[in-house]
Amino acid sequence: MTYTISAPPHKKTKLDFKTLNISKIIALIPLCLAAIYFFGIPALGIIIASVLAAVATEFGIQTIYKQKVTIADGHAATLGLMLALLIPPEAPLWIAVVGGFFAIAIGKHVFGGIGSYIFNPVLVSWVFIRNAWPSYMTPVSIPHIGQFSDLLFENGAGLMVGVSPILLIGGVYLIYKRYVDWKVPLAFLVTLVAIPQTLMFLSGVATLIHEGVLNPLMYMSQLFIFLEISPELPYAMIGAVFFGILFIATDEPTSPVTKNGRIIYGIVCGVLVFVYGYFGNYVDGVLYGIFLANCVGSYIELNTMPSSFGTMSLPEKIYRNIMDKIPSSLKFEVINNE
Amino acid sequence: MEIKKLDTLPEKIIIPLRQHRGAVCEPLVKKGDRVLVGQKIGESDEYYSSSVHSSVCGEVLAIEEAAHPDGNKVMSVVIQPEESNESVEFPKCGDITSDQLADFIKESGIVEHYGMPTHTVLRPKGKKIDTVLINATSSEWIGGTFKTPADYASQMIDALKMLIKAAGAKNGAIVLRTDDQASIDAFESIEIDGKNLQVAPLVGSRKMGYYLNEQDSNIVVLSQERIFGKKILNFFTYNVTGRKVKIGCDPTSVGVAVCGIKSAKALYDAVNEGRPFYDTVVSIEGVSDKMEYILVKIGTPFKDVIDSYGYTGEIGKIIANGVRTGVAQYTDQVPVTKGTTRISIQKPEEVIRDESIECIHCARCVDVCPVALIPSRLAVMADQGRFDECRQINIDNCIECGDCAAVCPSKIHILQLIRYAKDAIEMAYENLPEKESSNLKLGCGCGGE
Repeated sequence: MTYTISAPPHKKTKLDFKTLNISKIIALIPLCLAAIYFFGIPALGIIIASVLAAVATEFGIQTIYKQKVTIADGHAATLGLMLALLIPPEAPLWIAVVGGFFAIAIGKHVFGGIGSYIFNPVLVSWVFIRNAWPSYMTPVSIPHIGQFSDLLFENGAGLMVGVSPILLIGGVYLIYKRYVDWKVPLAFLVTLVAIPQTLMFLSGVATLIHEGVLNPLMYMSQLFIFLEISPELPYAMIGAVFFGILFIATDEPTSPVTKNGRIIYGIVCGVLVFVYGYFGNYVDGVLYGIFLANCVGSYIELNTMPSSFGTMSLPEKIYRNIMDKIPSSLKFEVINNE
Repeated sequence: MEIKKLDTLPEKIIIPLRQHRGAVCEPLVKKGDRVLVGQKIGESDEYYSSSVHSSVCGEVLAIEEAAHPDGNKVMSVVIQPEESNESVEFPKCGDITSDQLADFIKESGIVEHYGMPTHTVLRPKGKKIDTVLINATSSEWIGGTFKTPADYASQMIDALKMLIKAAGAKNGAIVLRTDDQASIDAFESIEIDGKNLQVAPLVGSRKMGYYLNEQDSNIVVLSQERIFGKKILNFFTYNVTGRKVKIGCDPTSVGVAVCGIKSAKALYDAVNEGRPFYDTVVSIEGVSDKMEYILVKIGTPFKDVIDSYGYTGEIGKIIANGVRTGVAQYTDQVPVTKGTTRISIQKPEEVIRDESIECIHCARCVDVCPVALIPSRLAVMADQGRFDECRQINIDNCIECGDCAAVCPSKIHILQLIRYAKDAIEMAYENLPEKESSNLKLGCGCGGE
């Protein structure tokens, strides 16, 4: 009888790269259907053109350079679909084709294929076509969430991603299933909400100081301002931003791998997107913001390398230094003395 | 729990003369000799060795190279067993001194499952042991070894006392698993030195030393999260005692000896019944829905163990010592050795066949790593031969648990790449003269060998 011999581990997770990509596509399908419902056949045309262009480019490049053809893993299709959602449906089809080609050829394969690119190919391509043909790529309108029903169906959307923020819930499911990491989106979202709220609080305090108020209770009462929604938030909570948080910022190769690094990366994304969005609009802001965050991603990763187990971190060291100076009779802490 | 025993007599028993890392024993018998149960058949003068005993009564068929569960061939004694339980007279071990006990451990052939003879762990050359730990966190080995949990608890305490005595140590601890409620209850129900035992969890900065003070005793029972891997000793020592072992050294250099349940039980049996280490409990996975435990004689081929469950299905893979880090066997004629803890069987359709692709930097390996490494980075560095950079990002901390490779969606052989780099680093600095190189701050820091 013959037995298989292989290196351990002998049991591995069933999850593979293909499943990850296909699940992302499935998570985006509801949004695509809603977009087609809103914008009609042109939207479908853009999606098909972009996906086909991306897959064909990958096939072409890998055949020409005699590499293994990996179109079956769905990565090119995922990138093409994500790009299509960022193109206005009024744009001509060739924009989508050029975009799909650029994403795969320049965004992905020039940098070395899966896992090697430093900028998200979708963003690379989007930045290129946005700047090359701004007249086609400017959406007719920038949405603004006025009431709750706008989260369900956004009539003011100019891009396909904006039609229905709630349909991006598939991305939340991917996080729940641990297909996608939770640290980046959480840090991103919290930062994006916290900055306008904090600014509103600070401006309230600044007004009080300006008026010369001396009563500390008045300042304390400004804390309640956190319960209100700042006027900036409805502009930020739109489909494109949720898409950026759930699908673009979480793209694995462009985000850091270290645990702390991912949180910092999420915060950096949030800050950059807020700055862009505050002075411009949030549709362009989220994409340029994440693109810029990609630039610092590897820098964050290199500076958050974990130290060896049992090494004290900086706050622990400071705490230790202080505690060691206090006489032991004054403190209630575990004495680790043999 | 009832102790299941392998009753059927195998066709032949293969006893490797090397049951641990270190010197191979010289055979004491020759072809055609008749051996008895418990008779010593192999011995070596080297300190890093442990005696080997026959587990059956029968005739020596051959002394030849035979397959070993580690994957290579080792000089082994092949015995044709007969239906007889005739055994040599086991010497009673009365009240003996510490030194005699250490010799007795060597004579009884007790070795650790991670591959060191127990007496060398307890009495390393040139180092002083002051703490003995029994690692019971992988408690699946316990099942089937003891009749009741209370037996387990009291025998372990006795064994720990013996180990402390043999090592000449001051303190000892048994480390249980936090979620293993049955064992914790068992230990809490017994008394040592007239005091009720308290199982203490290892949390935050409360390490072993704290509990020794608090309970005012030299033996404590602790509990911690499950930990497994091929090289866990340094990490385990740090977790339990808070002592950091320098890179390239083992826990003995900080005065800690780590023993397993199996060797503790073997010592208990050896002292109380006088019989040497010639049978062991292995767990068997895959023959039925649940985990099976069976007491087998050392040297029984895997085939006989599997057959005793009446398993007739097709076998795709036989794995010794667990599916996570174990070694896949090329034949079912490999014997159970002292280091065998588990035999796993996979059906042909369960055997995984994957193809590695590039790392996608999904960071799943970083999330599961118990010792805060970046396995994906280590794998890339090892693949490119950048071993010094591996060293800078603490590759030596790796406990080789294989979690990173198991969760990898790109199916990269991270565990093997890390081992490759570790071996290369070890080889590069093996013959480095001491205190000579000024630009290389490397090598073992403990000063020992």
